[in-house]
Amino acid sequence: MKAIIKTVQRITYLCLSIMILSCETDVTNDIDLKQSPPKLIINGGLERNSKSPLKSQQFQLTTTNDFLSKDPNPFVSDAQVSVTDGTTNYIFDYSGDGIYINDELEPTTGSTYTVTIKWNGEVYEGSDTLNEVAPFDRFFAEFQEETVFSDEGYTLKCDTTDPANVDNYYYYRVYRNGEFVIKPDPGNSQILITSDEFFDGQKRIGAEINGEVTFKVGDVATGQQLAISEGYFDYLFELFTQTGNTGISFGGNPPPATIRSNVINMTNPSNRAVGYFYTVDVAEDKLTITDE
Amino acid sequence: MKRLVFCLFWFTSLTLSAQKEYSISGYVKEFTNGEALFGVNIIVDGDKGTTTNDYGFFSISLKEGTHNVVVSYLGFETLEQEVVLNADTKLNFKMIEESNALDEVVVTTNTTTRNIKSTEMSVATLKTSTIKKLPTGLGEVDVLKSIQLLPGVSSVSEGSSGFNVRGGSADQNLVLLDDATIFNASHLLGFFSVFNADAVKSVKLYKGGIPANFGGRLSSVLDIKQREGNVKEFEGELGIGLISSRALIQGPIGKGNKEEGKGSYLLAGRRSYLDVFSPLLEDLDDTKLYFYDVNLKVNYNLNENNKLFLSGYFGQDKFAIKNIFGNTYGNGSATLRYTSVLNDKLFFQASAIYSDYAYEVDVLTSGSEFKWSSNIVNYNFKPRLNWYISSGNTLKTGADFTYYNFNPGKISAINNSSTSPQQFQKKYALESAPYVDFEHKVSDKLSFQYGLRWSNFQRLGNETVSIYENGTPLSYNPTLDLFDENNVVSEVAYDSGDVIESFNNLEPRASARFLWNETTSLKASYNKTYQYLHLISNSTSATPLDIWAPSGPYLKPQSSDQFALGYFKTLKNNAYDFSVEAYYKDLNDVTDFVDGADLLFQEQIETQVVQGNGRAYGMEFQLNKNSGKLTGWLSYTLARTERKIQGINNNTFYPANNDQLHEVSLVGLYKLNKRWDLGANFIYGSGKPVTYPTGKFVQNGLVVPDYEGRNGNRLPAFHRLDLSATLNPKEGKNGTWIFSLANAYNRQNAATIYFRERVDEINNIDIPSGQTEASKFSFLGIVPSVTYQFKF
Repeated sequence: MKAIIKTVQRITYLCLSIMILSCETDVTNDIDLKQSPPKLIINGGLERNSKSPLKSQQFQLTTTNDFLSKDPNPFVSDAQVSVTDGTTNYIFDYSGDGIYINDELEPTTGSTYTVTIKWNGEVYEGSDTLNEVAPFDRFFAEFQEETVFSDEGYTLKCDTTDPANVDNYYYYRVYRNGEFVIKPDPGNSQILITSDEFFDGQKRIGAEINGEVTFKVGDVATGQQLAISEGYFDYLFELFTQTGNTGISFGGNPPPATIRSNVINMTNPSNRAVGYFYTVDVAEDKLTITDE
Repeated sequence: MKRLVFCLFWFTSLTLSAQKEYSISGYVKEFTNGEALFGVNIIVDGDKGTTTNDYGFFSISLKEGTHNVVVSYLGFETLEQEVVLNADTKLNFKMIEESNALDEVVVTTNTTTRNIKSTEMSVATLKTSTIKKLPTGLGEVDVLKSIQLLPGVSSVSEGSSGFNVRGGSADQNLVLLDDATIFNASHLLGFFSVFNADAVKSVKLYKGGIPANFGGRLSSVLDIKQREGNVKEFEGELGIGLISSRALIQGPIGKGNKEEGKGSYLLAGRRSYLDVFSPLLEDLDDTKLYFYDVNLKVNYNLNENNKLFLSGYFGQDKFAIKNIFGNTYGNGSATLRYTSVLNDKLFFQASAIYSDYAYEVDVLTSGSEFKWSSNIVNYNFKPRLNWYISSGNTLKTGADFTYYNFNPGKISAINNSSTSPQQFQKKYALESAPYVDFEHKVSDKLSFQYGLRWSNFQRLGNETVSIYENGTPLSYNPTLDLFDENNVVSEVAYDSGDVIESFNNLEPRASARFLWNETTSLKASYNKTYQYLHLISNSTSATPLDIWAPSGPYLKPQSSDQFALGYFKTLKNNAYDFSVEAYYKDLNDVTDFVDGADLLFQEQIETQVVQGNGRAYGMEFQLNKNSGKLTGWLSYTLARTERKIQGINNNTFYPANNDQLHEVSLVGLYKLNKRWDLGANFIYGSGKPVTYPTGKFVQNGLVVPDYEGRNGNRLPAFHRLDLSATLNPKEGKNGTWIFSLANAYNRQNAATIYFRERVDEINNIDIPSGQTEASKFSFLGIVPSVTYQFKF
């Protein structure tokens, strides 16, 4: 419901802005942004995938830089990284490009994992709990006419049964020919994530797996349904809201603020980290789009 | 309190025990149509005086003997009369507008003498005739945009009818239309105001020194009075513009004396037709976008001393896209008022008011169609009594009672969709406020106005109130400098009529005027105001996000203490006047959002906002030119508005959203010749605070902005020039042409600047580039418009 209203607002402002003779100008080169000291970024987490199990677990550490900088985030190569499930401690080794890797950790559902990062004389910690995901009962593609939100083409859909009497949070990812597809869009906060608030314990028929991404005949389309924690759901909601900002703030949007990470700087809390250390369970399927 | 009451009686008895006195009382009206004139100066023997009240009534007590009475009102011919007083006397005056008699004199903007001699300060009055000569934004004469040209008043954003007064937020303005509270004064998402200038008689804005008879909002009172209608003859007006057209009829009711009816009526309507052009834009075919409004006023003289008034307003905005979306919102209000001259010294009035602000959204996406509706209904009763004790001493007392019924939101299925209906809890409240206000002239040089308002606000059942862990919806986490939301642990149910929470507050108000000499005065004022309703939104217009939240168990009332000092001077025999005012405001329990607040369909608003302190201070300079071919004003405001709220910017003062250091307005009206009136206004404002990203990071393949603190950056400065030309009809003819050019040099002022990841299109597929950009969004380039209006 929330979802629909957000979309509607988007259309409203779009139409009005056209009518009220608005105008957009690129001012990238006219803006001087205040640079704040670099912060640690954690990008990634642990993924359990029973369909195509991962050989290793990995995530990336980088640091923030100026928003309008053309350079990517600088890599962090000198951190000491470990993850514990409460009994075993797994050391993650640096493998280049800011990536830390471990090939012994096999994530299990119901476990809480805590990451510890020692870097620059400070210790960061964050944890997340891995919840079991409901499988796809059916996985298919359907042709769709052009809409206000997407081009014509095939979109991925599924039938799936939500486990009853537990709070479930879902995140949907799609891959085109093996490549992860996402774009900054106001719709993300409604179509990429959902909670089972309105369908607890029910079988959903023809649920969309990112209905804004369309595929052509011949594409290999992969869809994933991820079980995520409530904390990560809230984080993604804010993340998709901010990255989908269309700039026209008639809507009384609360002012933008940093999205709080679950990774806390234990040594110096005000020098906070950004990004989320997540643990997810992945249901996956793929198909090649054909001309029905 | 006790002492104040004692003082009142002391002064009262003092003045009453003076020599034998008689009163002169009566009404002052406009000659041509019989409309009451208020704020008219009645000067007796050059030194004693009074002014007419909102209904044109005055009463003044004088010693027995012969007196010279001068009745003057700017823009009208002065009347003078010798009165031999040996009994209480009734005297009515009819004034003729100057412009009808003398072509070279232009109707002016301010009532200068009153500025100097009145105890009122921080008050601005605009006459509709002035407002109508000002250049318009989109060809629509707009009351709210006109007041934004005054010092201390700024626009929420370019082209918006939302306004900020002395650092107050837009919801801290009490907007009254014939005593009825208007909750949302905007049409078309803020680009137009709901007030039809044709139906408006006068606009008075109190920026400070707010008298005790007003309350319920912190920063200002915008008191708008509708015209009453012509008691002499039927009259019609028609206006045709590019964006909207309007019509007005007025005339007498019943047979009174030889030339005037027993009453009069006025009916005015407007409708915009922007959507007529929508088929021209391919994407917007089948789109509805319009507003309309209707103003009605009827007044009827029961007899010489007793009058009845009925006034109503109804306006609505509609916006719909076929099969996708529909949206309707609007205000409706009705006021029934009775006024009575009880005797020569007592004037009584009572108003009963109904007002409703409603908002509705239809979502028509197939399969999940639903309707979202919310509204606020309030019922007011306002009895008031004016006692004209003696020359210069007036006691005003009365009370405001308001019963609120908030419906924060209701979801219902439409078109047989499967959407499950949902009703957010309704909220009820009763606000009662008795007051007393006393105008006291100590000597010719010194006069005071002081008063006290006692406001009581009760949140009433039927409602179920959530009880939070730790007793509070939000707990501050000092280590991370953020608020954690607490869980609801239990609920308490209140029955209908049960008092959930009650607030009692005293609001003292006082102002003093010292007349240095005939052309100079010094003034000082203090007022304390409380506000029990909070608008939880920083939008400039109506959206489903607009939530009016009443104070209650988890939301304290906000309050403000304002101190102001002023210097007022007239020059060259009232041809010019100049004023400087300085103010300081101390604000308590103002609201702001917690970081990452989400308001959409949020029933537990208390978990999304925090309360803290604020301060606002500044200086306002204004120079008016009141007569001659060229009239107008130059104003400059230097101001700061800051807030200090735990969890935001390390609990230090930060600039509020509406903080604006410099603002300059230059307004000029030039009477070229008998037929042409020219107008121009120029506004400059320094940039308002915004929050720009301080860094970037990547998450899930998207570039995400990172922020430090709130409102640390500024938008670029804002400036624009608007021009207008009015071609008045030839003698004996009726048509008037109004040409205007908004934003004459096509300045692209920044409405927002936003930051995003650039998306590239490769082989018809949108791919995020990983590169970032900043984009400026502006409204309203140069806009020419033309309106034709005629009388019949």
